[in-house]
Amino acid sequence: AAALADSLSSCRVLVVGAGGIGCELLKNLVLTGFKNIEVIDLDTIDVSNLNRQFLFQKKHVGKSKAQVAKESVLRFCPSANITAYHDSIMNPDYNVEFFRNFQLVMNALDNRAARNHVNRMCLAADIPLIESGTAGYLGQVTVIKKGQTECYECQPKPTQKTFPGCTIRNTPSEPIHCIVWAKYLFNQLFGEEDADQEVSPDTADPEVAWNPADAAARATASNKDGDIKRVSTKEWARSTGYDPVKLFNKLFKDDIMYLLTMDKLWKKRKAPLPLDWTEIHQLESSQEEAFGTGLKDQQVLGVQGYAQLFHRSVETLRSQLIEKGEGAELVWDKDDPPAMDFVTAAANLRMNVFSMNMKSRFDVKSMAGNIIPAIATTNAVIAGLIVLEALKTLNSDFDQCRTIFLNKQPNPRKKLLVPCALDPPNPNCYVCASKPEVTVKLNVHKTIVQALQDKILKEKFGMVAPDVQIEDGKGTILISSEEGETEANNNKFLSDFGIRNGSRLQADDFLQDYTLLVNLIHSEELEKDVEFEVVGDAPDKAPAPSVPEEGKNIANGNKDSAQPSTSSKAAEDDDVLIVDSDEEPSSSTMEASPESSNRKRKHHDADTDATASKRKRLDQQPADDDEDIIALD
Amino acid sequence: LALALSRPRGEDNIISEEEAAQYDRQIRLWGLDAQKRLRGSRVLLVGLRGLGAEVAKNLILAGVKGLTLLDHEQVTEESRRAQFLIPVDADGQNQAQASLERAQLLNPMVEVKVDTDAVESKLDDFFFRFDAVCLTRCSKDLMVRVDQLCASRNIKVFCGDVYGYHGYMFSDLGQEHHYVEEKPKVVKGSNEANDGPEAKKRKVDPNETTMVKKTISFCSLKEALEVDWTNEKAKSSLKRTPADYFLLQVLLKFRTDKGRDPQPDSFAEDSQLLLQIRDDVLETMGLSSELLPNTFVSYCFSEMAPVCAVVGGVLGQEIVKALSQRDAPHRNFFFFDGLKGSGVVDYFGSK
Repeated sequence: AAALADSLSSCRVLVVGAGGIGCELLKNLVLTGFKNIEVIDLDTIDVSNLNRQFLFQKKHVGKSKAQVAKESVLRFCPSANITAYHDSIMNPDYNVEFFRNFQLVMNALDNRAARNHVNRMCLAADIPLIESGTAGYLGQVTVIKKGQTECYECQPKPTQKTFPGCTIRNTPSEPIHCIVWAKYLFNQLFGEEDADQEVSPDTADPEVAWNPADAAARATASNKDGDIKRVSTKEWARSTGYDPVKLFNKLFKDDIMYLLTMDKLWKKRKAPLPLDWTEIHQLESSQEEAFGTGLKDQQVLGVQGYAQLFHRSVETLRSQLIEKGEGAELVWDKDDPPAMDFVTAAANLRMNVFSMNMKSRFDVKSMAGNIIPAIATTNAVIAGLIVLEALKTLNSDFDQCRTIFLNKQPNPRKKLLVPCALDPPNPNCYVCASKPEVTVKLNVHKTIVQALQDKILKEKFGMVAPDVQIEDGKGTILISSEEGETEANNNKFLSDFGIRNGSRLQADDFLQDYTLLVNLIHSEELEKDVEFEVVGDAPDKAPAPSVPEEGKNIANGNKDSAQPSTSSKAAEDDDVLIVDSDEEPSSSTMEASPESSNRKRKHHDADTDATASKRKRLDQQPADDDEDIIALD
Repeated sequence: LALALSRPRGEDNIISEEEAAQYDRQIRLWGLDAQKRLRGSRVLLVGLRGLGAEVAKNLILAGVKGLTLLDHEQVTEESRRAQFLIPVDADGQNQAQASLERAQLLNPMVEVKVDTDAVESKLDDFFFRFDAVCLTRCSKDLMVRVDQLCASRNIKVFCGDVYGYHGYMFSDLGQEHHYVEEKPKVVKGSNEANDGPEAKKRKVDPNETTMVKKTISFCSLKEALEVDWTNEKAKSSLKRTPADYFLLQVLLKFRTDKGRDPQPDSFAEDSQLLLQIRDDVLETMGLSSELLPNTFVSYCFSEMAPVCAVVGGVLGQEIVKALSQRDAPHRNFFFFDGLKGSGVVDYFGSK
């Protein structure tokens, strides 16, 4: 016992994240006798954290989590030696040398990008890593040790579910489709316009015409003479002075009537019913009862209510734009009331048009903001398990280490906490194998260098600052991580560099000490909306439902995800592991910048965009520390 | 049936904006109704060492109406190091009193009170003012007495302790505990291949759910601890019985005999006694000493902080579930083995 106490008091550990799991973990570490702890978190404290992040009080809202956590811990253990960093772990300052200072790293994160990154840094530094995640009543802990166990990326994890453009634009069938549409609309009107976030009817929808040639013709035709296609949504709005009534009638009447002309869409589906501003206000208002004893936000209004809300929020957002000045753009933030009002209203109006039951602001916020419900007790249990595993790793008792799942109800063998043996590394892992290699299918004539960098290397393969050479005998440099060096290449097509079927690229991330060989297969037959496919991956699909316990597949944090998740009711089923999207952090003080990994969050809430193109914002998905569950298999 | 779920006990039925903001992430998990029931509940927590502090934190964060911290013992260096609520300069003060300030700061909306009496000295009606009682570091006799007193009055009773790497919790929610479970609504989906009117009906949101009412019964602590192992049925279930149950019996006997738990300072003497008690206890039950191998003595001294966190988390959540009457409670023991990382729910007592 004395020997253990000594090694505890002398070892140095790093805790990545000071939120739900992080607060509990810091407390457990010092009470157990750990003395030298460093903690890093880029986030600041929000009132919604206070139901579980117990090191924080109301007076701390707005302050750095890492900093306040340190101060609170020192109160009950003044002899602890704690260093706090209000920073992103993806900042290149935290290089392999930095990681080598520690005997152990423990993650308390809420997003996959950071987890991938820390995974690689720990592999590079050869330091054991304890991974963990929670969502609602469920949780999980596991240990990662280079060469002995699977790394975090050994098993493919389901990526965030995305919806096809035509579902969003033409044929929504679920509330989530309308919510995604409303968020796109927000960006088109008030924020940064994105070609992947169109809201107007999609005339190129393959369903519309049986004859593909027709669809193409229609698309070009409307470009030439269709009012709808020619002007961008933002330009159109500007031209009307963001008149709420005109906007309403365009979106919920004119565009819907246009959709109705695409009659093939409505042969087997219920056709949408356009709304008219004047007509709505002439109707008998099915009025809004006093909300009584419920939460105001949980009320579901009527059509007039949401029309009014739409009107009000457009006016408020318009003023916000004006105030910010020329060329201003707003960033969507679930905690910014007019932004949330706008999405609530627009989504509900669209739901009404498409004959869906409307949703309360409370529910819309959950879906739009990717909110993961969270409580103190789940985090307390998981953080306790983390320290127990930590004690084993310090003694290098890796064969005693386990993956442990926390269920909501005991399994048929009466287990509420289920320990499972750790798996050995995957010899074909594209991260920890000795010479990792992947094969990617894409269209070399249509993929630009920027997309290769952002959507493939960063988002899919978790690199932070890639350097890419073509294996063409000349070592042609395609992408340099040095800012500005290869900017001129960004909008060129891969084929412009002689890349074709069978070409190989060497991608390096020097910070992560990671080299990946990418084999390219040229294809002109990718599905609509699909830019690339990784050969050997399962196709993107919704999160797996109930799965037998041992060997569950838990998807982890879809911070990187484009679109808000479908409601994760599955999360509350017994043995189901969840896809947790990281909560949308707030954007307010952030400016878009290319390498955003260093930016400190002032607030939470960033936008999870529909597509991966907004890499810069994705980097900074702060999230309300709604921890993820780790994917295991 | 409408009466089976008791009305929320809150004085007012409105949730304030402050509460809505602070409890947002948990309301999204267990619903507003559950939060209101919590908000109307008063809980007694006995024992403020490692496990007690964890339970206190969890209940205060959850937003109960009131929590009374009861402990007659004084802060020592050892007890102060075991938990995170007691300030460093509080040696010599009463343990509950010393924990009060930090406990209250966890959530100003909860009424946190202190009682410095010994729980043994409390008269029956003291317990009746609470909706739930949680006993830690208590003797078996006291726990049995309080359980008998409370269960018949629909006061939920919980017991728990941590011994080294091991910990347990027990619950008695009474003969008829009513609760609800949220289940997905069964959607009679339209077959998309049908052209006709079906396809054009208003869609039911695939994520809609429905609340199902249930009732479950619990036995007393006395029954749970006095299982008759001599009959055939009990004997055949031994293979699937966690050794932790017998470990608990041994540790409770130690506590009764010595008036304290095993201490590292008296490791040699206490280990001897533990082995002796193990032999006695198992023999009295008509069982073999092999059910609890000697190695157990190495792992049941003092409270390990991470084990307090795990057991305190499960125990805290069970109290929340019982007060909010939502979700199936664990029935009726939870045993945690920190060496193996296993956590098991098992039932002991009359069926």
